[in-house]
Amino acid sequence: MIISVSGLSKTYRVPIKGEGLAGSFRSLWNRQYRDVEAVKEISFAIQGGERVGFLGPNGAGKTTTLKMLSGLLFPTAGTVSVGGFRPQDRAVAFLGGITLVMGQKQQLLWDLPPQESFALNRAMYGVPQAEYRRTLDQLVAMLRIEPILQKPVRNLSLGERMKCELVAALLHRPRVLFLDEPTIGLDVEMQGQVRRFIQEYNRDTGATVILTSHYMQDIAALTPRLLVIDKGSLRYDGGLAALAERVAPERRIVVKGGPAELSQLGFVVVGGDHVATVTPEQTNQRLAAVLGRWPMVEIAVESPPLEEVMARYFKEGTT
Amino acid sequence: MSGETVHGAAWGRLPGVLGALARVAVMNAVQYRVSFLVDFFVGSCNVVAILLPLMVVFDRTGSVAGWTWHQSLLVTGFFLFMNAVMGGLVEPNLGAVVEGIREGQMDYILLKPVDAQLVASVQRIAPARAWDAVAAVGVIGWGLSGTGWPGFGAVAVAGALVVTGVVAMYSLWLLVICLSFWFVRVDNLRYLLGAVADAGRWPVDIYSGAARVFLTVVVPVALASSWPAMALLGRLDGALVIQAVVVSFGGFALARWAWKQALQSYTSASS
Repeated sequence: MIISVSGLSKTYRVPIKGEGLAGSFRSLWNRQYRDVEAVKEISFAIQGGERVGFLGPNGAGKTTTLKMLSGLLFPTAGTVSVGGFRPQDRAVAFLGGITLVMGQKQQLLWDLPPQESFALNRAMYGVPQAEYRRTLDQLVAMLRIEPILQKPVRNLSLGERMKCELVAALLHRPRVLFLDEPTIGLDVEMQGQVRRFIQEYNRDTGATVILTSHYMQDIAALTPRLLVIDKGSLRYDGGLAALAERVAPERRIVVKGGPAELSQLGFVVVGGDHVATVTPEQTNQRLAAVLGRWPMVEIAVESPPLEEVMARYFKEGTT
Repeated sequence: MSGETVHGAAWGRLPGVLGALARVAVMNAVQYRVSFLVDFFVGSCNVVAILLPLMVVFDRTGSVAGWTWHQSLLVTGFFLFMNAVMGGLVEPNLGAVVEGIREGQMDYILLKPVDAQLVASVQRIAPARAWDAVAAVGVIGWGLSGTGWPGFGAVAVAGALVVTGVVAMYSLWLLVICLSFWFVRVDNLRYLLGAVADAGRWPVDIYSGAARVFLTVVVPVALASSWPAMALLGRLDGALVIQAVVVSFGGFALARWAWKQALQSYTSASS
């Protein structure tokens, strides 16, 4: 087991400010605070080489958990062990074995070409020159960024920057990757490239990947195991398919166009198609009924979209 | 994670890390040509601005608190040197720490397997402040031309005092910066510190009582300006050398402790 977390909690003390100018002045002289429990007694374990997704609405505690796992934040309570280390001790061997990529922050030197950031990281991690060259060439080839290595970072597109961030973060060949929304803001094509890269890296190196993302496609494509964090608590630990089956087990039978008589079988018209929502057990029976009467129709069986599954799951938690 | 991915001991990697950081700092500083040239122009004006009040005072009197014109030039010279180090190396870096805490860039410093205080202290430079260092050598030479040339021992003591003074001022800066881990914005304190440190341009003897203690212990700017000048003039009591060492090493230990404590309170800007 490479990561083990037990009863992990983090409470922030945040100032409360009244509304408007008067509130600002009151807060200046008599500042009130409240405790915000960002993470509440979370426990889980992750095996080496696993790909795990942290999923949850904004402010659920995903990033806070990731920052405690990478040693940036001190936990308020509970214990964390990553590769046998207590992250908050920030031991050299621990920091040399992990990486944290944050989609909304950057470590690249803004005014200089990315290769200068790479060279700086090489020195910081003490990667021998030959190994550095080998790893860099490999990463550059995988991400196809050769043409942009000489351009100042400020002149790169968001997608190009994210690819360079990944290179900078992986030059020391970390064995645990914490990825906090690595595809945020990227176009669909670039998201796909980054996803493929993460998959290949995990496959080639056996590194453990822990990912947070708002894009369900990231989770569906990358992480067989899901940890759902909601309001600071761990609500679900398991596979995505099993969760979807539990929260939204129904199927949608969609008949393209189709005759009006389909309404007799419980279909309703949605955007020109006929759609029926059925339980998994009813699916075959209903399909047989349709195809028995209209064998030539174009028909599809769909599960609810993952976004809808998760929205329903989080709503479930609030009621 | 047995540490295979970090090659070499932390201290063994230090020269390479320092070299890489210095390289990046210089490349960053020369990236914008106009800004670089303007900085040099402003830097040269700063030297004149520091010398001018001294000239005005000594135009009307032969000595101030027992210090002649040439002796006072020594104080100004050491003050310029301290300004060069503080403005060229310390302030740009520690100022960046405050920004880094507010905007989240500090995360990346803390994630590296290198002492975070070291990286936070040496990643930027302001080359234009080299003017102050060049001017410092010139002004000290000018002063010595009137006071006579000191022996090797006096020069060594003066050099050691400059080091203790710079360490003490760096430590004070770091202590102020540590406050930003809790309070995030400490700009006013930084300006106040800069303004108080400016008092170091005058011989410390013109200040009396509490003010003198303040400038040698609390904001120990005199350690890097007046005391090295006194060493060159053969006026420095040995006890003051010990005091300088105690203040600088004590200050450094306190700042280091505060830094470690501050890291525990780091909240990291939200992403």
